[in-house]
Amino acid sequence: MTAAAELRHLKGAAPKSKPQNKAAFWFLLPWFLGLFAVTLGPMAASLYLSFTKYNLLQPPEFTGLANFERMLTDERLHSSLAVTFTYVLVSVPIQLALALGLAVLLDRGIRGLAFYRSVFYLPSLLGASVAIAVLWRTVFGTDGLFNEGLALFGVEGRGWISDPETALSTLITLNVWTFGSPMVIFLAGLRQIPVMYYEAAAVDGASPLRRFTSVTLPLLTPIVFFNLVLQIIHAFQSFTQAFIVSGGTGGPTDSTLFFSLYLYQRGFGNFDMGYASALAWLLLVIIAAFTAINFWASKYWVHYDD
Amino acid sequence: MTDALRKLAKHLVLIFCAVVMLYPVLWMVVSSLRPNDEIFRSPGLVLSDLETANYEAGWNAFEHPFGYFMVNSGIVVLGAIVGNLIACSMAAYAFARLEFTGRRWWFAIMLVTIMLPIHVIIVPQYVLFSEFGWVNTFLPLIVPKFLATDAFFVFLMVQFIRGIPRELDEAARIDGAGHPRIYLRIVLPLMVPALATTAIFTFIWTWNDFFSQLIYLIDPDMHTVPLALRAFVDQQAGTNWGATFAMSVVSLLPVFLVFLFGQRYLLRGIATTGGK
Amino acid sequence: MRPRLTRRTLGKAGLLGAAPAPLLAGCGIGGGGEMVLSDEPVELRIAWWGSDLRAQQTNEAIEAFQKEHPRITVRGEYKEFGAYWDGLATTFAANDAADVVQMDEQYFNSYSDRGALWDLNEAAEFLDLSKIDPELLPTGQVDGAQFALPIGSGVLAFAVNADLFAQYGMELPDDTAWTWDDYADIANELAQRGGGDITGTAITGGVDVGSLRYWSRQHGNELFAENGDVSLDPGLLVEQWEYYAGLIASGAADTAQQMVEDTGAGVEGGRLATGKTAFGLIHNTQITALRSGSGADMRLLQLPQNGTPANFIKPAMYWSVSAGSEHPAEASLLVDFLVNSREAADILGTERGVPANTEILEYLGPQLDESERMAVDYLEAVVTGDPIRVTPNGGSSVNPLITRYGQEVYFGETKPEDAADAFIAELQGEIDATR
Repeated sequence: MTAAAELRHLKGAAPKSKPQNKAAFWFLLPWFLGLFAVTLGPMAASLYLSFTKYNLLQPPEFTGLANFERMLTDERLHSSLAVTFTYVLVSVPIQLALALGLAVLLDRGIRGLAFYRSVFYLPSLLGASVAIAVLWRTVFGTDGLFNEGLALFGVEGRGWISDPETALSTLITLNVWTFGSPMVIFLAGLRQIPVMYYEAAAVDGASPLRRFTSVTLPLLTPIVFFNLVLQIIHAFQSFTQAFIVSGGTGGPTDSTLFFSLYLYQRGFGNFDMGYASALAWLLLVIIAAFTAINFWASKYWVHYDD
Repeated sequence: MTDALRKLAKHLVLIFCAVVMLYPVLWMVVSSLRPNDEIFRSPGLVLSDLETANYEAGWNAFEHPFGYFMVNSGIVVLGAIVGNLIACSMAAYAFARLEFTGRRWWFAIMLVTIMLPIHVIIVPQYVLFSEFGWVNTFLPLIVPKFLATDAFFVFLMVQFIRGIPRELDEAARIDGAGHPRIYLRIVLPLMVPALATTAIFTFIWTWNDFFSQLIYLIDPDMHTVPLALRAFVDQQAGTNWGATFAMSVVSLLPVFLVFLFGQRYLLRGIATTGGK
Repeated sequence: MRPRLTRRTLGKAGLLGAAPAPLLAGCGIGGGGEMVLSDEPVELRIAWWGSDLRAQQTNEAIEAFQKEHPRITVRGEYKEFGAYWDGLATTFAANDAADVVQMDEQYFNSYSDRGALWDLNEAAEFLDLSKIDPELLPTGQVDGAQFALPIGSGVLAFAVNADLFAQYGMELPDDTAWTWDDYADIANELAQRGGGDITGTAITGGVDVGSLRYWSRQHGNELFAENGDVSLDPGLLVEQWEYYAGLIASGAADTAQQMVEDTGAGVEGGRLATGKTAFGLIHNTQITALRSGSGADMRLLQLPQNGTPANFIKPAMYWSVSAGSEHPAEASLLVDFLVNSREAADILGTERGVPANTEILEYLGPQLDESERMAVDYLEAVVTGDPIRVTPNGGSSVNPLITRYGQEVYFGETKPEDAADAFIAELQGEIDATR
């Protein structure tokens, strides 16, 4: 029994399950204000618009479930769903594994850490820059760096971005390339692990691998979980990179037409904001389902200290 | 394997990764130092001579020098960081440490608010802020941050606070500390890595954010870096890529410096402050 | 004929059909001012897309205007092309749009049809339309109402790299009397002599609305009918796709992959500018960017006529006055100044295309540089057919649409016949959805 708990036991302090509504209200006040004044209104408006035909210039016209019925036969929607699911399921695990691996490598005990960390983070800083489109072509174009590298091994390359079969994989690579954000979060998480646990493990004579699997990983699970949930949400909403690299088209031949990009095209390109809103709510349901599953599964593998 | 060998292997892996990752960035820097008609015809990194004309052209391309847009971006970024740090940490403390009615539901609602794509939110939100008379000011970009609308960071901080041993705040409570005191004196100092992460991410994301700045900042006097950079691109008359790259490099510098110097705060966790 | 919405009828509709959600009460255009000059000081906003150079010049012109009209202050707003349309749609939705907006041929009908723009004929007192090229003026009209005023014009052209012709010992063709077969032969010959270093031509048709219109007009067909329906003969689209598929197969033209890379790279970074192919399709005014981006001897050639003139002059862009403007009269004055005054012309030059005002064009003649001269000479030499019909409301996505289907065909994913039918059906569907 810890000293604090012992003390509480002696003093007979109130059990910790007593609701603290008043304190919580004050701490949450800014968030409540934001929720009701800024966030919920536009969300409700978009929900309403999803049941209308709305061209941005004239008042919306209520059409019931028409937008949702239209989804059943919208082939571009179906292909954009396929593209998006592929993207999420492939890029998120790779990106997180890479971010975790490098974070552990860069945590401590190596020269030039600050430099390496900054270098690995640099691509993420570029993120949404217009320069990305040009950069990516110089790497994955027909005459690009990647093909020059392949040529060294006698492999003939192709126009990776311009070939519908490989365009999506270049975007997955782009996403993996910007693994800096989850890496930084892992780094911060690693620093929160109390040294004493490692000391204890060292006393027991545990190998580095064993220290990783029995100390680092379990204590890092809340952060792994956080990164997993958030990266899935972000990947489903992924927009900017596909927008910039494909010039907003989602091409070639819709091979990089992400869900958000399609939704954007409908809303702003075709003045079809009613349908775009319906699409947004479909995406919300999909993401919410994934997140709920994640939370449910987290009971079995995430360890909290409290 | 000996220690020295292992270290060498580690460095080799890291250097290899670094080179692969950095090539595109280096290419951009090199291209910014090339005349425009050479940029797309020389794929390598070798410079024949240094051409600084792009930097001059880019810096003076608009009615304000490029630094003006960086100052504007700086104002937005600063406001956003302060807002996020205060509001998100308060909300996170409540979610992580306080028992209150409907906590799970409120938390779920908070997560749901980040699941809707911005493109369908932006029009109703614009109408709302336009009613407030906030269009063409920095307010729509800053005020929501003070209201913890970036649920991403609330969630991040909740995860970190849950990693702080509860014994610490319970001990403080027994010493008679109330929640404001525990939040200020115990939790905040112990979650410096999370706060630093929040600050760095807010900086970078706001610095690069294009869509909402595009919608709300109408007057060129209010333009920020992403808007100015995008204004170089012209599909019809041709883009001055040299100037675009040059200003991309210039705008990348502050972000890179912030990260380079900010990252040591990421490393101030329980492990270094002693904790328990 | 479908009812045309005017600003006033729409204002009523907005009142009657007010949206239940209070947030959306601001949506729908209306509440604009009357077409009379105000006695009070007036503040105007003018919005355009374009580069830094355009921003500098336009701001300078605005200052000149303010000097002439001290009562009026003007605020300029500019964005990049894609971003411009997102911002414009949002501000129109909030009834918060700039007074004067730069418009594009594919978009203005989407706005005017929904009552978002003034009929500039109502501004006759302030805005003189008489000097505008009579061939261009109708391209801003719908049923006689002048919703958009052409600023500058452009016309389709083949750009050729004369250096490559010289390098491989070939003569430039005579562009006043050549056919699509001649073009194919030349491209094949170039590709052969190039021995894999270059292709003869970029894919200059089947993936953009300009070449599609050209091809169909050459066969007496039009993309859009008078009533705004799609009237394209699918057989012609199939024919055009098959023609280019043949060029691709023979190695005379770029591959589908190269085409995609080329589009992404833009005029100044594309395969024509970097000397990897000899022919490309551009608008005549892009020759300036092409020449400065490539450093090569680029020339303009007319597209093969096959005996039937099919080319058309298309306004590069327009000025429109938004229906929600509180000061439409002053806004019209500003447009008048930008389009009709020599003072503005001295500042703006041909940056927005070859001026649509014929007197201004003549006035500017001596000031043009070599590239601008080429663009103007080409415009004067080109043989055109009837003016094109404007893109109807709902047709704003025709270009991305033809790009997507064209790519599917050239990548061999879809048969030309199926793609042509699907293209027409989808485009017609978009148009129907707005009715």
